[in-house]
Amino acid sequence: MSPRPVKLAALALLLLLPLVAGAAPKQLVLLFTGDNGGEVAPCG
Amino acid sequence: MLVLDAGNALFKSRDSAQAPDARARAELVLSQMDAQGTAAMAVGARDLGFGVGFLRKQTRQAKLKLLSANLADAQGKLLFPASLVTTVGGVKVGVVGVSPAMAKPMPVGLAVPGQAQEQVQGLPVQPAVAAETKRLREKSKVDLVVVLAAVPHAEALQLADQVEGVDFVVQSHEGRGQGIAQRQALATVIPSGARGRELAKLVLQLEGTGRFADASLQERTRQQLRLLEGNLTRAKARLAGTQDPAEKRPLEATIARLEASRAAYQKELAGGATDAGRTHLLSYIQLGSDVPADPVVQKWVERVEPPGSAAH
Repeated sequence: MSPRPVKLAALALLLLLPLVAGAAPKQLVLLFTGDNGGEVAPCG
Repeated sequence: MLVLDAGNALFKSRDSAQAPDARARAELVLSQMDAQGTAAMAVGARDLGFGVGFLRKQTRQAKLKLLSANLADAQGKLLFPASLVTTVGGVKVGVVGVSPAMAKPMPVGLAVPGQAQEQVQGLPVQPAVAAETKRLREKSKVDLVVVLAAVPHAEALQLADQVEGVDFVVQSHEGRGQGIAQRQALATVIPSGARGRELAKLVLQLEGTGRFADASLQERTRQQLRLLEGNLTRAKARLAGTQDPAEKRPLEATIARLEASRAAYQKELAGGATDAGRTHLLSYIQLGSDVPADPVVQKWVERVEPPGSAAH
């Protein structure tokens, strides 16, 4: 198994976390990605 | 929570679809975006390496929607839906996708000897976004419009300057990476991040009406006001402790200047509370080594990019 962190895998786990702050009414959390350019793992 | 992608997700460059692992890589990215809950993605120039058919096939069964208000075939027929409407936490959000404008139809996908290459064209960006935004506002009655702009940065700035009804323009194209929220005349441009290194997180407070104000600027104004009030208190204490007219005059001038600044800051904060009760706060979540990997996804990644491979 690779000792390196894996970006796509890290993202998968992170998105399972409860990022919605449910306490405050009328709040919305938007998460954006972009320009991934086919990356699945860290460079360098 | 709503997860969106501004496009250019699949290939490093327009030509890199010819790399041996390009298909597996693009398939993995698309399937994981869907599995991880990305609701929509704009189709960018660097998503067309295997053509339109590949994108449609890969997302046929997916919840992930590929969007473009202006990407058309050679005859001018749009190839993807222009927008998506979704309701999150009681907020009706319209998401518009847009691709780069092209002066003439361009070939996409891999060239196969003896077969005509697929041609697509990017229609003018601004009219396409304006028309779709108007439709979303008037027909769908959305509360919020987010444009996923897989277009050059200058074009994204123009959209935010000139298209009525848009709240945020999330830009991808050049791989600019993370940055600050850039307030333009009508909307705010959000850098999407790049190369999977980070997630842009935009927290919206939706009480009230009007344009979204940048909550980080409001906080900075509050900090400046606190500093100024400290200086004002010290200046008044020094004034109270002196009887020397030569020392009193400059202190009185300083106090007058600080009080004027305080009034301006207070007015600015009060204006933010009434005219722009809605705020946004942009931050980035770094996907570094401190973020643990999902072991199942990591195995799929290692099939595409084995440990120790020189993939970069």
